[in-house]
Amino acid sequence: MRVLLFAHLKDRIGHEEFELTLPGPTSADELWRLLIATHPELGSFRPSVRLARNGEYADRHTCFLNTDELALIPPVSGG
Amino acid sequence: MRIEILISSRSIDLQRPFLEYLDVGMGALASFTGIVRPEEDTRTITALEYEAYQPMAENIIRRIIEEIATQHPCQFVGVTHRIGTIPVGQAAIHIVASATHRAEAFHMLSQFMDRLKQDVPIWKTRAHDQDPLVLHPPQ
Repeated sequence: MRVLLFAHLKDRIGHEEFELTLPGPTSADELWRLLIATHPELGSFRPSVRLARNGEYADRHTCFLNTDELALIPPVSGG
Repeated sequence: MRIEILISSRSIDLQRPFLEYLDVGMGALASFTGIVRPEEDTRTITALEYEAYQPMAENIIRRIIEEIATQHPCQFVGVTHRIGTIPVGQAAIHIVASATHRAEAFHMLSQFMDRLKQDVPIWKTRAHDQDPLVLHPPQ
């Protein structure tokens, strides 16, 4: 799974994307656990970051696959 | 309804008349331009940096416009959002809406901007002054 980072997340992690291997179809909660296990600094951002699966906002029912493109969407500030 | 979306690092052409999108029967053409102000978080700045998750931003912008149009039909909506470094006084976003009557066009502009600031994956990332300030939104 390709994981994209934006804005201050990119600054904090130090790069704009990384790869994450899922054990199989994965729930949003389990995905967060995997993300934080590999990048503990993401833990503090969880309350404010939305997940996007293949360019669509995810919800707690979304199932993620290894072939997906995941984006971590911090609070937006366009316009 | 025709929709035009452009997310680009190029300066926004505010002089474009959009005449090619004027349909017969259209009575209103309204626009809004968001301009980089010289202050950010009480600091004086010279520019702002923006970044976007571009494919998703374009899709979300289109969806927002289509949703608003179910209540406020328009003939044409054009959205241009600039990314990269934008100097103070220059446009970060420009939106144009044409409709039969002015109410629909004004509602489209107003509601679109509200939704943009909630859902479209575009961010201000840095403010430039003598000491570059990294913008961190509240947790």
